[in-house]
Amino acid sequence: MIATLPETANAQRRRRRSKTLTFNADDAGILNFALLLEELEAAFYAAAVETSDITDSKELEYLSVLGAQEAAHVTFLRSVLGEQVLFETADLSFNQDGLEALLSDRDTILNTAVTLEDVGVHAYNGAGPSLTNPTYLLAAGSIVSVEARHAGGVRALLGKPTTEPDSDRLVDDDSLDADLNPFKGKAYDELYTPRQIVEILGSLGIINNSIDGALVA
Amino acid sequence: MKTSLSSIAQRAADSLLKGIALALSVAMLWLCIRPTAPAYAQDTVLTPRQVAEYALTLEKLEADFYRRAVTAAQSGGLASAPQIAKDAIVSYGQDEAVHVRDLSAILPALGGDPNAVTIPANPNYSAILGRDPFANPADFLLAGQYVEDLGVAAYKGQVQNLQAAGEAGKTVLAAALAIHSVEARHAAGVRFLRNALLDADVNPWISENASSTEVIYNENRTGSPIPFSSAAFDGYATQDEVLALVGPILTVAEQPTTSPSNQPASSDAEDSEDIESEDSDSEDSESSSPRALW
Repeated sequence: MIATLPETANAQRRRRRSKTLTFNADDAGILNFALLLEELEAAFYAAAVETSDITDSKELEYLSVLGAQEAAHVTFLRSVLGEQVLFETADLSFNQDGLEALLSDRDTILNTAVTLEDVGVHAYNGAGPSLTNPTYLLAAGSIVSVEARHAGGVRALLGKPTTEPDSDRLVDDDSLDADLNPFKGKAYDELYTPRQIVEILGSLGIINNSIDGALVA
Repeated sequence: MKTSLSSIAQRAADSLLKGIALALSVAMLWLCIRPTAPAYAQDTVLTPRQVAEYALTLEKLEADFYRRAVTAAQSGGLASAPQIAKDAIVSYGQDEAVHVRDLSAILPALGGDPNAVTIPANPNYSAILGRDPFANPADFLLAGQYVEDLGVAAYKGQVQNLQAAGEAGKTVLAAALAIHSVEARHAAGVRFLRNALLDADVNPWISENASSTEVIYNENRTGSPIPFSSAAFDGYATQDEVLALVGPILTVAEQPTTSPSNQPASSDAEDSEDIESEDSDSEDSESSSPRALW
C-alpha cells in the first residue's frame, strides 16, 4: 500500500485526465462505491504512517492496524466484485496537495482519520437499504461496525468521546434524506446518500477522478 | 415482566420446532443451491415488528444497565472510576435511552405495543460475570464490553430479516443501521477504557480469532464468504443466540439453582459447536448456573 501514492501520482502524470468513475444504482455500483471509500482510507493510512508526525507508539499502532483493516476491506470487496470491479487502485488519482494538507501534523492526521471513518460509517449505513443481495448487506454490516470502532478508537486517542457529536456531522439534520432517517441526532449514525458522500469527498479535495453515474445522481 | 419471560420461553420452544424444520430446509438449501445461496444470518425469520420488539427489549436492558451504572458512579461501587469513564457511562446511557424512546415511538405503527415489551424491575446483571458488575470499575467495563459487543452483533443479525421484509421493513432497517454502528462506537469506547485505564489487552476493534473471554457470542463464524474471524470484519449473533445469553439476566430468580426454563437448551446443543470454542467445555456443567453470557 505504501507504493500506492507515488504510483498513482505517476499515473496522474501519465494521464492527462484521470479515469471517470461511473457508479450504477445497483449492488455492484454500491460495492464499487464502498471500494472507493476503502481505497481512500487505505491510502490515507499508508501515507499517514510514513510521516514523521506520529511519534506516540499507540497512535502509530492504531494507524497501522486501521490501514491494514481498510486494506482487508479493499481485498474483500475486489474479491466479491470480481469482474464487476470498476477501477483498479492505480486508476485512482489523488490530489497530492490536498492529501498533504491532511497529513500536516499529528492532530490533523488523527482528525482526518476520524472524518474518513465517520464518512465511511454514514456511507455504508446509507447504502444498506438499497442493497438487494442479503450477503452483501451482511458484509456491509460486518464492515461498518469496524469502521465505527475505528472512529471511536481514534476519537479516544484524541481524548474525545467516542460517539460522533453533532458538530462533526457533515450533513445537517435538515438535509438528511427523510426516507432513510426515521431517527436523527447524537444517538444515531444517520444514513447519508451516495450523492451526499460525493459532496463530502469533494470538500476534502483528495481525489481527482470525476465521479458520476445513477448511484450518485 | 412475566409476559416478557413467558414470551421468551415461548420463543425458545418455537425455535426448537423451527430449528428442526430449518435444519432440514437449510440442508436442502445447501444441497440444491449452495454456489449461489446467500449466507443468511438469521436462523429464525422475524417480522419487522418482531425485530423492533426484540431490539426494544435489548435497548431497555442496556438503558437500565447504564442507569444503574450512573447511580453506582455517584455513590456506589463505581464512584472511584475516573471521570472519563463516568462521562462515557452517562453519554452511552443517554444514547440507549434515546433508542428506547424512538423504538417505542415507531412500534405502534408496526402493530406493536412498546409497553408490552418489558424487562424485570431488577434484572439479574450478576449473570453477566457471575458477580455484581457494578461493584467496581474493572468489572463494570468488562461487562460493558460484553454487552455492547453483543448489541452490535444482535443488530447485525437482523439486517437480513428486515431486508427480506421489503418495503415493510425499510423503516426498521434504517433505524437498526443507524443504531448498530453507534453501539459499535460504544463498544470501542469501553474497550479503549479497559486498555487505557486497566491495561487490559484489548483494542477498540475485536481481535482476529477473538477468544471467548473477549467476545461472548460466536464472533468467528465460518462457512460464510465473509471472513468473520478477521479483525477487519465483525461477526453477528442470531436472536436465539442472543436470547440464550441474555435470558439469565431477564430472570429474577434469587436462587441460581432455579431451572433456567428460558434457556433454549436444544438450541444451545444444536449451536454449541459454533458458539463455544474448543477450549470451552463448560457448557453442560454450567447450563444451570447464573453465569449467563458465556
